[in-house]
Amino acid sequence: MKNKGFINKIIPFSNVDGPGNRLAIFFQGCNINCVYCHNSETINQCIHCMDCVVNCPTGAIKAWEGKIIYDEKRCTECDQCIRTCKHSASPRIKEYSVEELYEIIEGYHPFIRGITVSGGEPTLQADFIIELFKRVKTLGLSCFVDTNGFFDTEQIKELIHVTDKFMIDIKAIDKIEALCGCQMKNNLENLQYLLSLHKVYEVRTVIALDYIDVENTLCKVAHSLKHYPEVLYKLIPLHITGLNAQQKAKIQGKIPSKEYMEALKEKVEKLGVKEVEINSFSTR
Amino acid sequence: MQSKISDIMDIATSRSLTYQQKLFNLANVAERLLDPREVLGYTDTEMMYIENEMICDLNEGYTLYRPRYIVPDYYVLLSKGCDFLGLKPPIDLDELLDSLLILYRHIPSITSFPVFVGDLDKLMEPFITEEEKDYIKIKRFLNHIDKAIPDSFCHGDIGPEKTRAGELILRAAIELENPTPNMTLRYDKDKTSKDFALKAVDACLRVSKPSFSNDKKYCKDMGDHRLVSCYNALPHGGGAYTLPRLRLGTIVKGVKSLEELLKDRLPKVTKAMATMMDKRIRFLVEESNFFQTSFLVKEGYIKRENFSAMFGMVGLADAVNYILEVEGLEETFGTSKRGDEIGHSILTVIQDVANSHEGIYSERTNNRYLLHAQVGASLSEEDSCNTPAHRIKVGQEPILPLHIRQAVPFHEYFVSGTGDLFAFDETYLNKPDAVLDIIEGAFSLGGRYITTYLHNTDLIRVTGYLVKKSEARKAGEGNAVLRDTDILGHGTNSIANVFERRLRKDEE
Repeated sequence: MKNKGFINKIIPFSNVDGPGNRLAIFFQGCNINCVYCHNSETINQCIHCMDCVVNCPTGAIKAWEGKIIYDEKRCTECDQCIRTCKHSASPRIKEYSVEELYEIIEGYHPFIRGITVSGGEPTLQADFIIELFKRVKTLGLSCFVDTNGFFDTEQIKELIHVTDKFMIDIKAIDKIEALCGCQMKNNLENLQYLLSLHKVYEVRTVIALDYIDVENTLCKVAHSLKHYPEVLYKLIPLHITGLNAQQKAKIQGKIPSKEYMEALKEKVEKLGVKEVEINSFSTR
Repeated sequence: MQSKISDIMDIATSRSLTYQQKLFNLANVAERLLDPREVLGYTDTEMMYIENEMICDLNEGYTLYRPRYIVPDYYVLLSKGCDFLGLKPPIDLDELLDSLLILYRHIPSITSFPVFVGDLDKLMEPFITEEEKDYIKIKRFLNHIDKAIPDSFCHGDIGPEKTRAGELILRAAIELENPTPNMTLRYDKDKTSKDFALKAVDACLRVSKPSFSNDKKYCKDMGDHRLVSCYNALPHGGGAYTLPRLRLGTIVKGVKSLEELLKDRLPKVTKAMATMMDKRIRFLVEESNFFQTSFLVKEGYIKRENFSAMFGMVGLADAVNYILEVEGLEETFGTSKRGDEIGHSILTVIQDVANSHEGIYSERTNNRYLLHAQVGASLSEEDSCNTPAHRIKVGQEPILPLHIRQAVPFHEYFVSGTGDLFAFDETYLNKPDAVLDIIEGAFSLGGRYITTYLHNTDLIRVTGYLVKKSEARKAGEGNAVLRDTDILGHGTNSIANVFERRLRKDEE
C-alpha cells in the first residue's frame, strides 16, 4: 500500500468530535496559521533540522543519517520538542498505511459509532482519507471530516462523496488574512455547498475580539444555517490554554466575556439558528 | 476463620461500633467459635487452606442458619400479601411502599440486611397515578431504605423496559445522592428505550447509580435472575447459599512456575473449596431448618430449589504479576499481553474444576457452583495482596479504551457476577450517548456489568483540537495558567485518564 497518511495523534475515545463515542485521527499539516492556533505543532511537516534532538530530556528523539528517529516508548510527552520546534511541526509524527490505521480502528469498533479525521487540515491528505473511509465503512462506522473550511470543492469532490458529515470552522468572513494568514476566502461558500448536500454536522466559530468581525461573521453563518435546523452552531470563546508566549501576547484583551458570549448566542438564535451552543467551561 | 473468645470482649467494649453493629458482630463471633472440622466435617487439608488464608470464607461462620444471599420474589406480595406479617396485597402506592419496608426488615442475609429490595420500578408501576405526588412518596421511600438499611449491599433493580416509575426512581436517586440502595438497570438495547437508557447513564455519571447489566447475556446464562448485593447475578425467588473465595494472590506465593500453579497448587486448593461448599450447603439445608421454617419459603417468596452457590475469587492481578516476575518480564497485569494469557489460563483451571464438581442442592444451576469475581474485603493482611476480582491494580490501569478492551474478555467466566468500574471525565456528562456507545460495545463483546462514574477533572476538551499532555499536567497541578481566565481550556478523555490512574478508587 503506497498511500501513506501523516498523523500527529490518534484519540481512541472522543465525545467532542461528532455524535456519540468516536475515534479521532489528527492529521499533520495545515494550510492556514491562525493567531490563536492551539495546535501549531500540527501545521507543518518535520524538516529534520535536529533542533529538538538535543533538547529531548528522555532520549526519545534521536538523529540517524540526517533523519529524526522517534521512540514512542521513551517519550513522556513533556512537549519539550514542540516548544523547541521553530517550524510549527513535531518530530512525533507517524506515517500510517490505510491498512495499519484500519487495524487500529477495527480494535475499537464495538465501542465507537464512527471516526472523525481532524488536524491540521485533513483535506490536505484527501486521497489517503478517501481510501481510509472506504475501508472503515465496511465496519459500519460513520466517517466525519473536521475542516477549517478552506479547500477546493472540485479537488476534494470524491472525499466529499465518501464523507458522511463535515464539522466545519467559519473562522471569519472578513479579515481572514490577518487572522489565518491565508489568501483563501471560500469558507462560507464551501459551507453553503456542503449544506446543500446535507453534509454538515456542526459549524464552529472562535470568538476572538477584533480579529474577527463578529457581527458580520455570525450573521452570515446564521443566514446560511437557518434553513438547516439539524445543524449545530458552536460558539467558542477564545482562550489561552496551550498557547505559547508570542501567541498569548497577540491575543491579550481579545477574550470575550461570558455575558458577551450569551448575548451572541441569543442573537444567533434570533436570526433563526435552532441549535446553538457555547463551548466553554469554567474552572472550579 | 475461627474466632476467639477474646473477640467477644473486644467487640463488647469497642468505641467504634454502634449497638447494632456490636450485636451483629457478636452473633458472627459465635458462629465462628465452633470448629468447622467438628460441625461441618472439614478435613485437615481443607482447614489448612482456611488457616494459611489461601481460601477465605468471608467469615460466613460454621453454623449456617440462613443463606448468604436471598433474592425474594416480591411479586408474591402484590398477588397474595404476606400472612406471616399480616399484610394484605397493597391497593395503592402507600400500602405497597409501607409493606415493602416491613418485609425488608424480615429478609435474612449474611449481613442481616436484605441484599435485594425488588424490581423497584415494576413493583411500583401499577400504582403510579399522579406523578408529582408519587415522586414525593418514592423519594421518601428510597431515603427510608438508605437510613434504615445501612448496608451498601442492599440492591434494587430497574428495567429493562422503561416505566414511569423507573423514571421517577432515577430522578429521586439523583436528587437524594444516597449510597443505598445500590441499583442496576438491566439493560437490553432491544427492550430498553434509548431515552430511558440515556437518563440512566446521566444518573450513573452524577450519582454513580444505576449500574448496567447485560440483560441478554445474563438471561441466557442464568434465566430468571436479579442483580443483588454488589453485582451478583442470582436466581430470582432463590439466591446463594454461600460464597467463599480463592485468594489467588496468596495461593501463588512460593510457586516456581506457571505450570506448578496450574497443574498442582491451584487445582488442589480449588477442589478443596468445592468440597467445603458442599459441606456448608448440606448443613444449611439438612441441619439448620431454615428452609423448613422460614415464612419466605412457606409463602412462596423463595424456593429452596432456586438456590445455588458462588465460587469466588480475588487477586488475579497479583497472581499474574507474580508469574510475570517469575518469567522475568517487567510487565504488569492490565497492560501485558502475556499477563492476559496467564490470567485466562488461571481462570480456565478454576472454571474447569468448578464445572467438573458435582455440587449439591443446586439443581437450578445444574448442580454447578457459579464463578464469581468477588470485589474484595479487608479481613486479613493477605487482602492487601489480593486485588478485587480480575481488576487491574490501581495505578497500573491503561487508558480507558485499552482498559475496557482488556477487562471485557474476563467477564465471560463469571456467571454469578462481575463488574468493572470505569471513570469518565466531565465531558461525558453532556454526552451520555457516547457513554452508552461504550457500554453497548462492551456488552456486544460479552461484557456482563459496567459501573461508570464521573471523575472530576478540571480538564475539559472543548472541541476538536488536541490537548498537549504537558498542558494538561500543568492544569492538573492547578498551575496558574488556568487562572488567567475563567474560560478554561481542555483535556481529553485519554489524557484525563492518565491522571486518573492514581486517583481511581475501587469501591469497598
